Amino acid sequence: MRDCWITGGATFDLAPTAWKTIAGGASPDEQERRLLAIAAQALDVALRPAAPKTLRRRPPLPRLALPMLPERLRPLLRAALKHAVDARRKTRVVTLVASRGFVLHPMDWMPVASDQNSPDVYAPWIDWQASVEGERHAPQEKLTAENWDEFYPAARRIALAEMRRSGPASARLLVEAKASGEPAEVRLALIELMRFGLNPEDAPFLKSLSADRSGKVRELAGRLLARLGEHGRSNDGGPDDPAAELAAFISEGKSGFIRRRSIYTPAKLKSPAQEKRRAELFETCNLVDLAARFSATEPEFIGAWQFGADNNADMLIARMVAASGSDAAVTHMADALVADGGKPALFVLHLTPRLDSRRNRALVRLILKQANYLNAINLAEGIDAGWLEWDDLSNGSALAALRSAVAGNDDAMRRGADDILETIGFLATATTAAKLIDEVVAAGMPPAAPSLSVLRLNAALAEHQSRTDT
Amino acid sequence: MEFDLKIIEALAPDQASLSAASKLTKRSNWPRLEKNEQQALIWGECQGSGSNPYRVVVDRGDHGYKCTCPSRKFPCKHTLALMWIAATAPASFAAAESSPEWVNDWLGRRRKTTPPPAQPIEGAAAKSIDEAARTDESAAVEDVAAVERREAAQRKRAEDTRQAVSAALDELDQWIADQLRLGLSGFVDGSSDRCRRIAARLVDMKATALAGRIDEIPSRLMALRSEERPDAAIRELGKLVLLAKAWRSAPDDPELKRLVSTSETREQVLANPDARRVESFWEVLGEKIESRRDGLVSHSTWLLDLKSATPQFAVLLDYFPASAGRRSNAFAPGDRFDARLVFYPSRKPLRALVAERMGEVTSGAWPDFSFGTAKDPLAGHASYQDAAPWITDCPLMLPPGAILVDDRGTGWWQAADDPQGIALPIAGAVNQTLLGLDLAATAALWDGARLDLLAAQSGFGRLDLS
Repeated sequence: MRDCWITGGATFDLAPTAWKTIAGGASPDEQERRLLAIAAQALDVALRPAAPKTLRRRPPLPRLALPMLPERLRPLLRAALKHAVDARRKTRVVTLVASRGFVLHPMDWMPVASDQNSPDVYAPWIDWQASVEGERHAPQEKLTAENWDEFYPAARRIALAEMRRSGPASARLLVEAKASGEPAEVRLALIELMRFGLNPEDAPFLKSLSADRSGKVRELAGRLLARLGEHGRSNDGGPDDPAAELAAFISEGKSGFIRRRSIYTPAKLKSPAQEKRRAELFETCNLVDLAARFSATEPEFIGAWQFGADNNADMLIARMVAASGSDAAVTHMADALVADGGKPALFVLHLTPRLDSRRNRALVRLILKQANYLNAINLAEGIDAGWLEWDDLSNGSALAALRSAVAGNDDAMRRGADDILETIGFLATATTAAKLIDEVVAAGMPPAAPSLSVLRLNAALAEHQSRTDT
Repeated sequence: MEFDLKIIEALAPDQASLSAASKLTKRSNWPRLEKNEQQALIWGECQGSGSNPYRVVVDRGDHGYKCTCPSRKFPCKHTLALMWIAATAPASFAAAESSPEWVNDWLGRRRKTTPPPAQPIEGAAAKSIDEAARTDESAAVEDVAAVERREAAQRKRAEDTRQAVSAALDELDQWIADQLRLGLSGFVDGSSDRCRRIAARLVDMKATALAGRIDEIPSRLMALRSEERPDAAIRELGKLVLLAKAWRSAPDDPELKRLVSTSETREQVLANPDARRVESFWEVLGEKIESRRDGLVSHSTWLLDLKSATPQFAVLLDYFPASAGRRSNAFAPGDRFDARLVFYPSRKPLRALVAERMGEVTSGAWPDFSFGTAKDPLAGHASYQDAAPWITDCPLMLPPGAILVDDRGTGWWQAADDPQGIALPIAGAVNQTLLGLDLAATAALWDGARLDLLAAQSGFGRLDLS
């Protein structure tokens, strides 16, 4: 009957007898309509959809180690996530919530399978996202060469990072034993973990990677070696030596009347082609090799670099220090620039992922105090959540600048203030967040403005904690 | 800045708005009236002529306002009524510590402008708040003869409508027979034009509701895979045949009249002593806002009765013109309230009106519906179909289960204790996270081919799926 209706035509003769009894005794059109009505009802109540045999079930979503954000706070969280325009900002909201001891509801936010920036507590979800089929691993077990394959990548990465912090040698041995069997992408992520607790004992293994199949792995190993003070290339000074070519873009001079000391200034460039080449060289060369061209140590070279002379060159060297500078060079540069203040201090923002929490906080405090480049605070990476006190905000000019931006009519300034408030929402303690909301509302911001959403969430998280404490 | 009646008079777009507003100043029209002194805001929910309440917020500082009603008058009567209550009975507003999300949402999107002068504007002299109040008080007195004339005219109009609809259904019957003769394959391919043409004829012949339903058939067919469309066409057209037959046998049946021509008014439903009334705690399962081909937007809010031992549902259904712009949602999924609902009379009452709202209810899990050992998750659907076989979408409460995917990426719901049994395909894309969650109970709509998820309870709490 169905096929007949599809192609067109009368189906009465094809109908079951019982149906014919109901449909019969009428005009041919009416008979068809009656059969159609019976068929419709039969389709609806008597038949069930045929389930394909290929139905697959995902493993259950694991429970995380922290409690779920209370239901009451979920609207605030969703508002904060909605306002956070990109993955990086969303991760900041997630980090803030985790720093207060909660995880998000999986329908509000889920990390993607490739996520490497969300708090460690989400590792089981990252692995769940990455897994297609398979059994769950036992995350309590210690990672060993034997149970290596039972760990999903995110759990393995976190276990290894933890091992690198507590016993770097055993973690290195594990990576040495297992990395070569992994695909290049995974290998790169594993080698990247060597940055935790990097020490001279890692050098032989890193050197062995110079023969790795992947160019990215070779480059990363070279940078890690450079951080240990190992020269990556032979300094023959020949035309093929990029450090020598880069050195030619830098002028060495002397400064001081009594104690003459070397200073390094970027040479004036004559063309965009030169600019491009210099940028490439800064990206490919290691700091230790460049410093050696001037017979200086890394801290000496950084100490003698004339920040402020060429903005682009300053940015390039900051990136170079972040990528390949030794820990001493990184901290030397950060301490010196933060102590001097001014615009050059902003180049320390490139170093924040490698700085300890104390130095990162000092940088944020400086930016807030100076307030000339408040927007730069949005660029800071790898900084802890929830520590910024009210004094840090009120000591300098930040608060006044924010108030005036909020109260003013300049749309660009207001948008800038919105971004800063979002970042401070992440950095601030709950008390600071609550006070700042009052402050900007008094300055004219609508109390329910979306740009206050992270601050509101921050403040509410503490309220919740104090309620549960009492 | 507080309200006085002069300001309201000045803001009103015309005298008619003021008169309409005066009728809405009764406290019973406003299940919710709140204020926040700090933010200088007042807001409320007004039970207007629609099923879903209108949400109104007014900034007392600069007289900015927002109402979710589709009126093209600014401010609308609901806004004026809220201001009026604020001016004359400020104690009606309960103090709220914080403003609800929908108010925050409006504030967030709002562009602050300089306060408009709430001074009498040109033409304002033509409006008088005193007159509006008087209009309210003076009930029109009609003489007996006029009443009889009006009733006679009404009867004649009803008879004319009945005849027109009867003719419309004859035409529909013929059209269905034509589709069967020409083949459903061609119908599926050309359903857009064919349905539009017959729908236009039905509108002309006063079968407006039926026309709207036929206009939606193409989009319902296109939402399915091509191999499923012929069966869906059989279902859709077969149901139309059943509905037409049912109407012919009982043209005054309120349910059939509603589905074929026009619906009763809110007042008629409220005044109907036969209409089922249920006072209970209700949870908003979810909302569906769909643009229709006839230029209307249908806005349905699905509710679950939290006091019933078996799953009982209600839907608040409104239509408004798409040209009125996007409306804010009337409720947030998961909202709970204590209310008396009045159901539109029908064989399986679903469509309802909120007659009275008594307040909010704290959130929590759903009642423990004992799903029994019935293996058929569509048993509820079959019971709706037995009573009213013309219904297309039936609400269901599905037993414990999970969402699975097939190799085309389509999601399927399947009962937990019946892994080899029935699976129901899910409409639209499925959130991948759902695939890892065990669902203790799932509320959904079943249209005969697809499951439209509304909400679920899981180990991770309530899931909003609408």
